[in-house]
Amino acid sequence: MRVELNDLTKRWGNVTGADNISLDIQSGEFVAFLGPSGCGKTTTLLMVAGIYKPTAGEIRFDDRVVNQVPPKDRNIGMVFQSYALYPHMSVRQNIGYPLKLKKSPAAEMEQRVQRVADMMGIGHLLDRRPAQLSGGQQQRVALGRALVKEPSLLLFDEPLSNLDARLRLTMRSEIKRLQLDLGITSIYVTHDQVEAMTMADRIAVMQEGKLQAYAPPNELYERPRTTFIAGFVGNPPMNLFDVQLMREGDRYLAKRQGLEFELPPERGSRAAAKAEVTVGIRPEDITLLPDAAGSNEGSQGEVFVVEPLGRDNLVDVRFDDLHLFVLADPRQTLKIGDPVRLQFDGDKVQLFDPETEYSLLWT
Amino acid sequence: MVTNQTETAIQVPRAGRGRWLLLAAGLLLLGCIVLPWLRFVIIADQRVALSLTGQQAATIGAIETTDGGLLYRSSFWLFFAPLAGAVGLALGAINLLPGRSAPWHGLFAVLISVTASVAVWGAFAASQEIAQKQKVAVEAQLGLSVAFMALLLLLVGGLILLREASGQKPAFRAALDALNFMAPGSLLVIVFFFLPAIILFILSLTDLSSANFSEPWTYVGFDNYKRMFSDRFFPKILRNTFQYVILTLLFFNVGLALLLALLTAHVSRRVGFFFRLLWLLPRITPSVVYIVMWQRIAQQPPYGILNQILGLFGVENQPYWIPESPWVFVVLVNGFVGASFGMIIFTSAIEAIPADLIIAAKVDGAGNLALIRDITLPLLRWPLLFVVTYQTLSLLVSFEYILLLTNGGPGLFTTEVWALTAYKRALQTYFGSNQWAYGAAWGFVLVLIGAILSVTYLRVFRFNDLVQEPKIDVL
Repeated sequence: MRVELNDLTKRWGNVTGADNISLDIQSGEFVAFLGPSGCGKTTTLLMVAGIYKPTAGEIRFDDRVVNQVPPKDRNIGMVFQSYALYPHMSVRQNIGYPLKLKKSPAAEMEQRVQRVADMMGIGHLLDRRPAQLSGGQQQRVALGRALVKEPSLLLFDEPLSNLDARLRLTMRSEIKRLQLDLGITSIYVTHDQVEAMTMADRIAVMQEGKLQAYAPPNELYERPRTTFIAGFVGNPPMNLFDVQLMREGDRYLAKRQGLEFELPPERGSRAAAKAEVTVGIRPEDITLLPDAAGSNEGSQGEVFVVEPLGRDNLVDVRFDDLHLFVLADPRQTLKIGDPVRLQFDGDKVQLFDPETEYSLLWT
Repeated sequence: MVTNQTETAIQVPRAGRGRWLLLAAGLLLLGCIVLPWLRFVIIADQRVALSLTGQQAATIGAIETTDGGLLYRSSFWLFFAPLAGAVGLALGAINLLPGRSAPWHGLFAVLISVTASVAVWGAFAASQEIAQKQKVAVEAQLGLSVAFMALLLLLVGGLILLREASGQKPAFRAALDALNFMAPGSLLVIVFFFLPAIILFILSLTDLSSANFSEPWTYVGFDNYKRMFSDRFFPKILRNTFQYVILTLLFFNVGLALLLALLTAHVSRRVGFFFRLLWLLPRITPSVVYIVMWQRIAQQPPYGILNQILGLFGVENQPYWIPESPWVFVVLVNGFVGASFGMIIFTSAIEAIPADLIIAAKVDGAGNLALIRDITLPLLRWPLLFVVTYQTLSLLVSFEYILLLTNGGPGLFTTEVWALTAYKRALQTYFGSNQWAYGAAWGFVLVLIGAILSVTYLRVFRFNDLVQEPKIDVL
């Protein structure tokens, strides 16, 4: 089923939950709503579910406007962060509840519950109560309940946030795999950009009720359109700082107290009109070089903190009042206070207008 | 870690302060026992010396027997008790000697033996007097009350003693800790429920009334109960009581309360709050004012509000409604007051249901009715149990609105319920003859009914299933 949101808005008095959200979701597509808490992603999801009534705009399922359709008639399945299992019902009753409400025949119901439970690997737990299950098992029950009625749209509201880190990884790939196999159009709300990046076909980044971007994950990553997206997508986050832009012949120099580097002409020229720009550079696009005394190349800073992450070391390098995060090879021995030089990968440098916060490179 | 704690527990003499408290309690207890005993002995001697008449002796607390000679029949127990106390005292004294590891154990031995003997004395003295249909003497009553007090102290002291003695056995100590935790609550229940119930029962076995209250009580066995059960109106009162409780509970205290809670929980918060406040008004209105308002509503034309409204529709010449259909008004009047309690409990329970559950059910395909039937009501099981149980009991013993509205009438016993009968027999009679003992019999049976109903409710609702295992272990 295709889903289309046109200028969708939700207001309570003068509080705006969602502001003119427009996007379309193709049939079978997996879309993530990504943003910090309070950004309007759950509000939008609940409007799609039919729990909140939109203040303005429309929601279309295929070509039908469903603004006035109650949730029970929308044929959607939903999975919650809190699992939202009915505590007074057994697993069997929980999964079978949507079918019971549809008045399915008992035999068919039993069969479908068993099939879904087996698919989720909880077939042996059908007679337990939710309180007797672990968090992961409860989430599987919730998923089974959402799937049993064969919905045309699946809604996930931060379903993995209550699980421990390892289980989150497993469930992440399971949900992704399941969605691919069943081909059900899905909306997945999360504040975890790793989840959004790994699972979604397209990500809708939201901030303060507004849709900031709607693009496939790698495009968001490679070509962030605003400083917010640049800072939010990617882990560890992109370094963002303001510099003075100087032009010396064909060379574009970015300067800041204690820091100076050259921008490649094809990128620098896009910012030529600005005296001051915001530079964005990801920690993995900076190379850390031991300080060679007397060298004029690059910029000189000192190691402030080293966080070993296993595969890499995350190094906090200080230039006066500016802290830059750099991913460095852990074999490189670094002590706090060591002088270091940084080399930026110029082709990865992002440039933003400090006033509008829009990218100077991508529109 | 655990070893450390155990060591600390042994090193710190926790009973340090408790010891003095217990000593004080012991002294107090001894005073309570010894002084009445001394008093009795002195009175006994004085009677001989002053040649008191039997009547005079009775007024100061001694007993007159048929032969006019012997003062006290339970002398065996009277002497046995101090004897047992003395033995305990001696045994305890050995333990109290310096150099003993735990002197307060000796103190406990003293206390326990003394209290036990006093309890035995009081109980036997009373039972012997009662069994022989003698007038219950003052000292027997005194003995009983001291015995209750002593039993209480015994309970507390015994618990503490057991706790001290069982320092090395964790499981046993955990069980004792549980009892200690419950002690404040249990004490309240004992003092304010069990003891009054027992006193009520004892009272109901006598003939105490305003006609003879200056005399010592006379034990009349179960006469009051026989009289009660053979009362011509007993079946009527019983039926009235059940009718009153069931109708009010079903339609108002639970039914209307649930409806109000569901309605006010599903409108905006402010409106819901306003309506709940409105429904609290009957509760906070003084009962006399409240009843006068109802009477004004039901009055004949042209005063009655109801009849004025009926008049607007052309229905004329209607009667004063309360004597016309007294039961409707008894239930209405009580129900409007009673609904607020359940409403508040249910509202908070409904608001405590996580929003996700409601959303999940809606998405699963539940309409409003299915939502209430499948999600809200099952999750209200515990508040429902609580309100049904609590309100059954409070309705069973309530009578003030009926007293004010119909006073059990119109006519004979039309709306008279059990509690009202008990009240009238004990405290309100036409000729000022308050039959306290007879009223106590009615009251005691009501207590029994209430107790049986509570246990039944807990069984039927499977209360134990609703209680979660404690999540905190006592170390």
